[in-house]
Amino acid sequence: MDFQAIHDRLRAVAAPGLVSADLPRKPDPKVKKDKGRAGDPFVLVEAQRLVEFLEVCRDDDRLKFEQLIDLSATDPAKDDAQLWINVQLLSLKFRHRLAIKCLLPKAAPSMPSTVPVYRASQWHERECAEMFGITFVGHPDPRNILLPDDWVGSPMRKDYEFPKEYHGISCE
Amino acid sequence: MTRETQSTPAASTRVQRLGAGEVSVDIRTPDLEINFGPQHPATHGVMRILMRADGELVTGAQPHLGYLHRCAEKIGENVEWLQYLPYTDRYDYLASMNNNLGYSLAVEALLGVEIPRRATLIRIICAELNRIGSHLVAFGTYGLDIGAFTPFLYTFREREWMMALFEKICGARLTYSYIRIGGLFNDAPPGWFEEVSRFCDVFEQKWQEYVDLLLVNQIYVKRTANIGIISREMALDFGLTGTMVRGSGIDWDLRRDMPYMCYDEIWRSGAFKIPVARGEMGALGDCWDRSWVRVMEMIESIKIVRWCLDNMVEGPVIADIPKTLKVPLGEAYVGIENPRGELGHYVVSDGGKVSIRTRVRGPSFCNLAVLEDILPGSLVGDAIAIIGSTDIVVGETDR
Repeated sequence: MDFQAIHDRLRAVAAPGLVSADLPRKPDPKVKKDKGRAGDPFVLVEAQRLVEFLEVCRDDDRLKFEQLIDLSATDPAKDDAQLWINVQLLSLKFRHRLAIKCLLPKAAPSMPSTVPVYRASQWHERECAEMFGITFVGHPDPRNILLPDDWVGSPMRKDYEFPKEYHGISCE
Repeated sequence: MTRETQSTPAASTRVQRLGAGEVSVDIRTPDLEINFGPQHPATHGVMRILMRADGELVTGAQPHLGYLHRCAEKIGENVEWLQYLPYTDRYDYLASMNNNLGYSLAVEALLGVEIPRRATLIRIICAELNRIGSHLVAFGTYGLDIGAFTPFLYTFREREWMMALFEKICGARLTYSYIRIGGLFNDAPPGWFEEVSRFCDVFEQKWQEYVDLLLVNQIYVKRTANIGIISREMALDFGLTGTMVRGSGIDWDLRRDMPYMCYDEIWRSGAFKIPVARGEMGALGDCWDRSWVRVMEMIESIKIVRWCLDNMVEGPVIADIPKTLKVPLGEAYVGIENPRGELGHYVVSDGGKVSIRTRVRGPSFCNLAVLEDILPGSLVGDAIAIIGSTDIVVGETDR
């Protein structure tokens, strides 16, 4: 299925938390300074209902997204108030992909863990948590994965300040 | 056997008198913690696994990563699009060509640029040769891990030639940065295609040696069959890709099922097949099945290289790309079939010279997560064989 068909199906089964679809478009010559958008289409989903949404994606007969390929986050800009959660799903049976985006407030980023639906997200969520300071409620093993356990701050945030030293080792 | 163990009957389950003064005691060792790594040759890098063992039986395993973390994704937000390319070499350093390719395709998806046909074909040749090289290391060092030293020397002999071929085309032996955004760094030197063709001829004969020497060797089979079994459901649930899913009997390969570049054309011409494990030597999804898939894939890659050589065209090798690249606003995810599985690049641009986000979905990182589940229940001696069969590159798990 192509993206439009997947989106129609998601609408038809009333997938919980589905907000809208975002498609790439060419620049509009009538609008001044319009750049358009390149790349892939994605669906925007409410972060707090992502778990239920993923469950529908996995179990629906015509979607059958058996695999969660990737779960990561993005900090779009320093002055942006929101973080993105980016999920990539893959269906081996129907050979299609779906990109999902959720928005989370930067002030207190917290959302339910998706591990009950796909165990693949276990390590991805740990990485997101340490790099962006996101709390995944109900994660079975919320330790740091790539960073040391005592690391301070969320390095992948745009406003992250690099440390001057770590345990007496100068980083400058 | 010590005096203490004899005096504490609760600690021993069975005391058997053998003769005058000789006693055999089973010493109970519940919950022994074994620190495996970070400096251990079988972890193929610096990775630590904290294992719990009850005697010879592993009861728990917890991988600790991050010893090689170099903030590759953060660097991606601080350097220009073209400048990031050398960093891609360094996550899966055994398959740098494939990494270059994955990143280039992701940026090209945003740029919407057309790649010259000759560049595409040379890209495929390089990617497949690098896949062979990567599988040679995986297969050779796997034998080494479990005690077969000789095949390792054989596989590295052929890999040496492969690296010499790459040295001729781009000057580097390990970190190539040859596949660029928009095409290639330069054209192949005179006589290069002929040498690749010779390599294919010789490799096909040598390949049979690996099969005879190691793959069907009874010692190897006994050591790898029926251990580290990954079921079909587990492979899907953990998001395993590449040789790991094919080793569990799932017929899935991005080159055929979600083709990029001109792989669909090659597939339609019937030039190559996708080897999928059938559980020939034991249960489906065991360590032997995974190594079988790798060995079989090498010969399929040779067929793809041959097809590209036969269909080679003349022409330019790079599209018209400015030195200071500005990528249109947008976001794209491109996944390609790396030797270890799906290498995904998720790139976001705000229309400027520097990316907002360069996410790398490394296949080793995702494949490694399954260890926590398949190690418990195995023997400590088999743990090495199971870790080796996941074929991880620590540069990629930690990035």
